[in-house]
Amino acid sequence: MLCAIAAVLGAALLLLAPPPAGAVGQAASGETLFYPCTSCHPVGPQGTATGLPNDFPGHQVVLIGHDALGEGSAACLVCHDDPARDPGKLVLLDGSLVDITGDVPALCFTCHSERYREWAAGTHGRNQPSCTSSGCHDPHTPAWVYGDPLLPFVGTGFQVRSVSDRQAFTPLAGPPVKAPVVTPSWLVLATLLVAFLATGIVGYLVRGRSAR
Amino acid sequence: MRMAEHATVAAPPRPGVVRFIGIDWDFGALKSASPRYWAFVSLLASLFLLGLMAYATFMTRGGEVFAMRDDYPWGLWFTNYMYYVGLSAGGLIVYASVHLFGAEQFRPLSRLAVLMAGVLVLMALLGIITDMERPWRAAWMLLTPNPNSPFVYTGSAANIYMLICFADLWVLLTGKGGEKLAHRMTLIALPFAIYLHTTTAFVLALNKSRELWNTAVMVPIFLTSATASGIALLMIVAYLMQRLGVMRFKPSMFRSLSTLLATVIIIDLFLIAVEILSVFWPTSSHPGHAARLALFFESPYGWTFIPVLLLGAGAFALLAPRRTRHLPAIQLTAATMYVLAIFLKRYALMAMGFAIDPLGQFAPPYTPSLVEVLIAVMILSIGLLIMTAAAKVLPLQVPEEEILAHATAPGHLHGHASAPVPLEPAPAPAAPEAG
Repeated sequence: MLCAIAAVLGAALLLLAPPPAGAVGQAASGETLFYPCTSCHPVGPQGTATGLPNDFPGHQVVLIGHDALGEGSAACLVCHDDPARDPGKLVLLDGSLVDITGDVPALCFTCHSERYREWAAGTHGRNQPSCTSSGCHDPHTPAWVYGDPLLPFVGTGFQVRSVSDRQAFTPLAGPPVKAPVVTPSWLVLATLLVAFLATGIVGYLVRGRSAR
Repeated sequence: MRMAEHATVAAPPRPGVVRFIGIDWDFGALKSASPRYWAFVSLLASLFLLGLMAYATFMTRGGEVFAMRDDYPWGLWFTNYMYYVGLSAGGLIVYASVHLFGAEQFRPLSRLAVLMAGVLVLMALLGIITDMERPWRAAWMLLTPNPNSPFVYTGSAANIYMLICFADLWVLLTGKGGEKLAHRMTLIALPFAIYLHTTTAFVLALNKSRELWNTAVMVPIFLTSATASGIALLMIVAYLMQRLGVMRFKPSMFRSLSTLLATVIIIDLFLIAVEILSVFWPTSSHPGHAARLALFFESPYGWTFIPVLLLGAGAFALLAPRRTRHLPAIQLTAATMYVLAIFLKRYALMAMGFAIDPLGQFAPPYTPSLVEVLIAVMILSIGLLIMTAAAKVLPLQVPEEEILAHATAPGHLHGHASAPVPLEPAPAPAAPEAG
């Protein structure tokens, strides 16, 4: 019993703890929320990235899904230019370079062209001018989505929100008005009569004497 | 010794007794019943008629008379289905304990236990048929069953289990086939009981869109809750039957029943605690799970679940001390607390799936409409009418010679129960059935 009581009390205490908070970002805002590249790769006055900080040991990134791009660092070089030459530059298929603060979705487009077109048409993502692919997706593991993308629902009913396990959950408001419950007045009257009768019978049963 | 030797078939029927399908129906007892008995029957009949009017109302006016809506489609009747199915487990546990495991101390309860199990499953089925709103549609479940739906399995299991219970009762009352047939019937009934309770739990657990239902521990929790509440109800009914002079039991039987009840209660509470900790453990908590279960501690839904824990822990605390466990007041209080706790738990169980729907929308607590309550009361009155009539008409008291014969028979050495202690005398009857 003590175990059960302790478990119940423990559970009640845990309720006081705040729920798991959002890990990095809450919504697609146009910024690269997963990897704040510019904190280590400061962008110069002309929009070009400067060199790497001294003594930087290099990135240790585990790819899930994108590991299909190559073995070891070869997978990195499919999207990133040689960091010794152009740190903070992304490379497209035709060899042209894109700054990490530039048109990053163009890099995603090279493989995910269909999804890119959906995004451009406003049917994928949040359909905002500043919205970028890496604003919602982890660029190294795109299946990880941080945020609460809302469907472009334009009706007057409810909105659907997909909630990540990494984000705090709060219930939405329920439907505005429920249909009223109808109870015929004659049934209410009959119930009152039977309740009156039942009270009398119960009183008789409780207070009356047995015939035996 | 064969059961038939000391069963009702051996003696010629008394005046007022009609022998039908091998059972002595004592209709003469109805003629000599006291006015209080008939007053109680009148009360139940009034409630039944009132429920019938409510039923006619919903058949003519449709769903507008219900409080069940899209966000809360399973209301009082489905809650009662889960509750009554669970309560029926107690009867089978006792019946199986006697005929399968040789727990002779429960033999005096066996007829009452099987009757109660059958009636409770009947009430559960009446509830679920009512919930269908158009009863004739039940035939479609048989004609076009969907094997992916757990309803096919729980519905069929409930029907078959009810028939098995009444067949078992017939075997016990007539003594046909003796102990051997009773043993074989138990071998059939026990797997079906587990099947019924498991599939009933699966109705909830297989909904992956309802996070709090979609847990593997739902099935064992359902089994333990069912067993505990069933045993508790059986204890209450047995005390009631003894008080009314219908049956007599030894105090040692109630003590054994209390020990069994306390054991199952603590297992049930342990499983609930495991589920709560799994949901709220900070490093493994799913936000959806935690937010949903948190509603049952701090929102308007709190009144449904917090009392379950308090009543459950209280019932166990009452039954745990060995020095006071034998006291009838302690036993009855604990049993009543747990029967109430499991009803609230069934309500909370329904609400756990509906409080926040799969779209993430909050639904306020469901309160049944008057029509729903009256129909639920009608179903309850049907069950009580059957039990009230059975208490008069059916030979529910197991003959003392049968108890003594099994208690002293070789191979039935089960502790204190094996001693041929005579039953305590029946107290002065003071309730409606007294006649």
